Amino acid sequence: MHFDPRELAVLERDQLAVEKLRALPRAKVTRGVTLMLLALRIYVLIAVPVVIYAFAHALLAG
Amino acid sequence: MLDLAMTPDTSPSIAPTREDLLRARDRLRVARTRASKRWVKLAWLLAGPGVLVMLGENDGPSMVSYATTGASYGVGFFAPFIVLTFVMAYVVQEMTVRLAMATHRGHAELIFQRLGPFWGYFAMADLVFGNLLTMVTEFIAIQAGGLYFGVPAAVSVGIGFIVVVASLALQRYALWERTLMTLAVFNLLFVPAALLSHPDGAALARALGTWRPLPEAMGAAFFTLILANVGATVTPWMIFFQQSSAVDKGLTRADLAQGRFDTAAGAILATIAAIATLVAAAPLFAAHVDVSQFASGADFASALKPLIGTTGATLFALGIIEAGLLAAMTISTSSSYALAEVFSTAHSLNLDFRSGKLFFGVAIGTAAIAGAIVLIPGAPLLALTLTVNVIATMLMAPALLLLLVLANDREIMGGLANGRLANVAGGTIVVLIAAIGAAYGVITAFPALIGK
Repeated sequence: MHFDPRELAVLERDQLAVEKLRALPRAKVTRGVTLMLLALRIYVLIAVPVVIYAFAHALLAG
Repeated sequence: MLDLAMTPDTSPSIAPTREDLLRARDRLRVARTRASKRWVKLAWLLAGPGVLVMLGENDGPSMVSYATTGASYGVGFFAPFIVLTFVMAYVVQEMTVRLAMATHRGHAELIFQRLGPFWGYFAMADLVFGNLLTMVTEFIAIQAGGLYFGVPAAVSVGIGFIVVVASLALQRYALWERTLMTLAVFNLLFVPAALLSHPDGAALARALGTWRPLPEAMGAAFFTLILANVGATVTPWMIFFQQSSAVDKGLTRADLAQGRFDTAAGAILATIAAIATLVAAAPLFAAHVDVSQFASGADFASALKPLIGTTGATLFALGIIEAGLLAAMTISTSSSYALAEVFSTAHSLNLDFRSGKLFFGVAIGTAAIAGAIVLIPGAPLLALTLTVNVIATMLMAPALLLLLVLANDREIMGGLANGRLANVAGGTIVVLIAAIGAAYGVITAFPALIGK
């Protein structure tokens, strides 16, 4: 593909494909956010079986 | 703040990819338009993700929800309620625009990298599985719309699949986006359909201003429709799609005003189409037609035919096909973005097929599987549709809370992080939608809990 190298100047560095594949570090979360994410895990543990139950129930009901 | 550089880098050591070059050309056009102060053209160039996500969420099942609402309660309480749900959708989606501009990362990869693999894999699996089932419902809409016109199911589903693949074969984000925006315009087919139902304009204006008349009975059916209308407006795929497509489009902090305008314009257009669907189906309410056994949008089109005429019913059926088709294209793309982001492989609609095997493979594979399921004789389509609702609503809470956490991550967001007002507005909506979503999921899974 023909291109003018100066065209790339309009992109911010992090918009380049190679930069986007560079992983960001883990976030430093506060205690409050940690607790919220923990509560969310519990919610997910409850919600996933409900989803599976709903699917199985609907399947059996035809 | 992390080093998410704002400065251009023209280092000769960087080997540009096709994706970079195509994005650079799009950005060059934006830069020239901004420099020449042609604001209308600038807004047009930067529009796309917001319009597509909002009109994409006006999908097959959503339009059926709005039609069911209109047929069950007429024009009244639900007209302003729909406006409210799209205001909530705007607040949620606006956060994804800022995340995209500040980080140039998709939503799935941000969750994976910033909050860890557990939430990364969970969000991806939830999205990809939920999207696959949602795609089934979109192909049901396409099939049902086709049947209204006498087109065999296999033909309409086959055409739907070919259109999805053909859009990906454009291999150019800007062209893909403009093609879908052209298709999205047809979501407004519900407007002439509504006009052909000869609506009472004064009653609609009164309803929008006063939230009246209220339904006579506010039982389980009313509550379920409240929840279904919320579920028809804010869903997890929207968050992933808009952030990733805004990144793919190349939006930057300088485009914040236009990104917000794009999202607001999409919300307004989607609100108009949603209320038009409600209004178009309202004659069924006046005629006391029982819609409880209606399975698809085509059933509504057939029932409306004697009430709003052949033209109106035809427009309604065409609108349902468009709704399913556009959603199939946007939802399959959101799966592609999420999966490729989490596995750290190339993810852009500017890729060619060879460079984006996983990215394109997911969208094409999802569409192929969903289309095939719809065509299986005796397939449990109702069970799949039901599960879609449960997944989308019950798992909305984690998606919204993770969005809020990321939007408050000042290390990556800098000055675009949520302020106090945004957190109060966003937090309130998140709590409300999460509670409504969880309630809807539980009611759908255990209907005996609330009786009839």
